[in-house]
Amino acid sequence: MIFTPPYVPSEFIFMYMPAIYAGLIVGFIGSMAIAMKREELHILILTDLIGLAMIFVVSAVGTDLAEALILPGLVVELAETMAISEILISREMRKIDADPRRNLSKASSLFPQPFALNMEIMTTAPNFIALVLIGYGIFLTGFTGGAVAGGGIVLYALSKKARGMPVLVIDGIAGVSGISWCLWIIGFLLFFVAPNLWLISLFLAACGLLLKVASKVGLIGLLMREDIDKE
Amino acid sequence: MIDVHLFFYFGIFLAILGSLATAWGPGVNDPIVRTFNTEVASIGVCLILLCYNHTLALLTLIATTVIITLILFRAIIRLEEMGADV
Repeated sequence: MIFTPPYVPSEFIFMYMPAIYAGLIVGFIGSMAIAMKREELHILILTDLIGLAMIFVVSAVGTDLAEALILPGLVVELAETMAISEILISREMRKIDADPRRNLSKASSLFPQPFALNMEIMTTAPNFIALVLIGYGIFLTGFTGGAVAGGGIVLYALSKKARGMPVLVIDGIAGVSGISWCLWIIGFLLFFVAPNLWLISLFLAACGLLLKVASKVGLIGLLMREDIDKE
Repeated sequence: MIDVHLFFYFGIFLAILGSLATAWGPGVNDPIVRTFNTEVASIGVCLILLCYNHTLALLTLIATTVIITLILFRAIIRLEEMGADV
């Protein structure tokens, strides 16, 4: 017997089996390719395929639950890709330290050539566009709002020429991240302790998530700026 | 009125084609080509999410795809400059 909740549209029930099979096929192709490759970087790229198969299987549910489960899956995949790429880079640096006879250029960056953004729009527009993006992100709240506001911060950070961040600012961003985590937990707890305060707990959680995601995406922009703005 | 199933099956087709291209497609020994090929599968998944009306998931998928592409490019270029066998 197959139990289907009554609020699932009948269209989605017919789409269930094809989506599940497509997810299984994509996951199988990704796993086979991972099993056949030796280089770690290729395996890291192929992990994306497994993430896409996960999205297929979850989205086949077709209700709001699917949407709520896809968001953390994507965020975890993003964090995992970031962490593993950093590990690969630092391991390669250790290999170079162990064997310094290999002659290497000191500077390694995102753009090997000096990359100067000498466009007029990069000096005049970013203030306004970043302000609009951050304002719209705060209005949206939640993960999507955090991504939009973080995009504004990235644009501002990439287009401004100032280099280097004082340590105090980075500590401040870490502090904002911790506070937002506390907001999220308080909102979650309040949701169960006092269910009649659901609106305030929802907004606590949404604003916490907004602060966290925006500060993280902004940090990525600051990292990239160190690579881009070299003369 | 275009049938929603058209987008759905085209999304599945693109996702499977993109994953095949990522795994065994032409020129995938270059990691940049492999990264670009994952975008094809990603567009297929976007179409699927569009059929299911998952707006937030679609926006988040697009945002994380962009960020993951940036991170992967940074890793690829750094590793190639350091002379690793990628």
